[in-house]
Amino acid sequence: MKTPFVTQRIYTRPGKINNASGDFVCCCCGAFVSVHVALSGVGNRNHCPYCLSSRHLDQFEPGDRLSACKARMKPVGLTFKRIAKKYSGHQGELMLVHLCEDCRKVSINRIAADDVVEMILSVLETSTGLDPDTRALLAQDGVMLLDAVQADLVRQCLFGINFAAALPG
Amino acid sequence: MYTNVHHATSNSGVVIRKTRGAYLIGSESDCIEGTLSNRLKNESDSHPVAVGDVVIWNEAAQITEVLPRRNWLSRRGAVPMPGGYAQEQVLVANVDRVIPVFAAANPRPAWNLLDRFLVSAESSEIPALICLTKMDLVEGSQQREIEAVASEYSTIGYEIVLTSTTSGRGLGDLKARLQGRLSALVGKSGVGKTSLLNAVEPGLGLRVQSTSKSTGKGRHTTSTSEIFALALGGAIVDTPGIREFGLWDVAEDDLAWFFPEMRPFLGRCKFRLDCRHDEEPGCAIRKAVVDGLISPYRYQSYLKLREDP
Repeated sequence: MKTPFVTQRIYTRPGKINNASGDFVCCCCGAFVSVHVALSGVGNRNHCPYCLSSRHLDQFEPGDRLSACKARMKPVGLTFKRIAKKYSGHQGELMLVHLCEDCRKVSINRIAADDVVEMILSVLETSTGLDPDTRALLAQDGVMLLDAVQADLVRQCLFGINFAAALPG
Repeated sequence: MYTNVHHATSNSGVVIRKTRGAYLIGSESDCIEGTLSNRLKNESDSHPVAVGDVVIWNEAAQITEVLPRRNWLSRRGAVPMPGGYAQEQVLVANVDRVIPVFAAANPRPAWNLLDRFLVSAESSEIPALICLTKMDLVEGSQQREIEAVASEYSTIGYEIVLTSTTSGRGLGDLKARLQGRLSALVGKSGVGKTSLLNAVEPGLGLRVQSTSKSTGKGRHTTSTSEIFALALGGAIVDTPGIREFGLWDVAEDDLAWFFPEMRPFLGRCKFRLDCRHDEEPGCAIRKAVVDGLISPYRYQSYLKLREDP
């Protein structure tokens, strides 16, 4: 269900989670997160750059803030966007897969410029150990998680084609 | 002339029109033009008399007393100066029903304003009838969207009628619901309150205007509140268009009670009646929203009203 323009029923809430600037405190690690586009490189910062956790706030479409669940959404894996952008090569953009800890809603989000890359790689590692139920749930939503075999491809997305030179050591 | 009340004395009647500083009072015998007595003016900082009030006047046609109201619909008045305090502004008093009027399009419906009206009506214990006008302006998916929202409010338990003064849709249904009651039309400027009244009572010939072509908003054509008697029995209060409707005398902690669909869940939260239904764990209302028992839009409206009443 999409919120139509004609009968727009979304209200922007001042303060708290959706304050005027949009800055928030991470519900998982407590870090203060600025949503300024100059820092994140994206206009819709929706997860903590340090622990990659998010909150279940949207119900029908990004930014509607209609969800009453509000539980933590943990990063469970990585995937590629299905439709490749014009200049992005063979596969689509690298995306982060979030799963709501309460109602188990799946959400796929863009990786921001200031996301800690070590955390992204650790999500890739831990996603290989996901329980079968979660995997089935993601498959049901049509989400194909990346596995360790595609680790080089992920590093290439994060560090560029010559990623080996960029890695420490 | 609307005089459908029991008058306490021969010098008592109902305020049927209110203009700046002058009141038209209808009694059993005739109509008089009255003003406020100095005592009433001094006793209150805001306007102490509203349309629908039963008042007593003296020989100088000055209103000296306002009899106790059965109910009244009020809003937070504009702050007179920076740093000042807002005062209560009573829109109508002693009505049987409040009718929030919204246009399906032109101007597009402000659903949050509807929720404000409904909360205010609930807190005043006045039954509400939602009226959506200009249904002839929407078709296809837009019409379905409007009808879906209407069905949502209908499920909550509110009476709702979809009308069009152009096609005549819903007017018969509306007339049947207006019969024998004093109803108050409230809503934004340009939604068609006076057009609706003209359609229900064709002889009135009240002045109406189209909405502005450049802004799409109403032109504030009706500038006074007035009661109009209906030939079919009953009466309607036509009120000027409202731009803002701040809640008055609705306590933050009582707000959820004024959302009828939330009432069954009150007291079932982990923190019982101390729950704000916002971030608290174990909140029964949030769970009801997630389970689809309460509309997420209405829940969002509740949160919005809590933060900005």
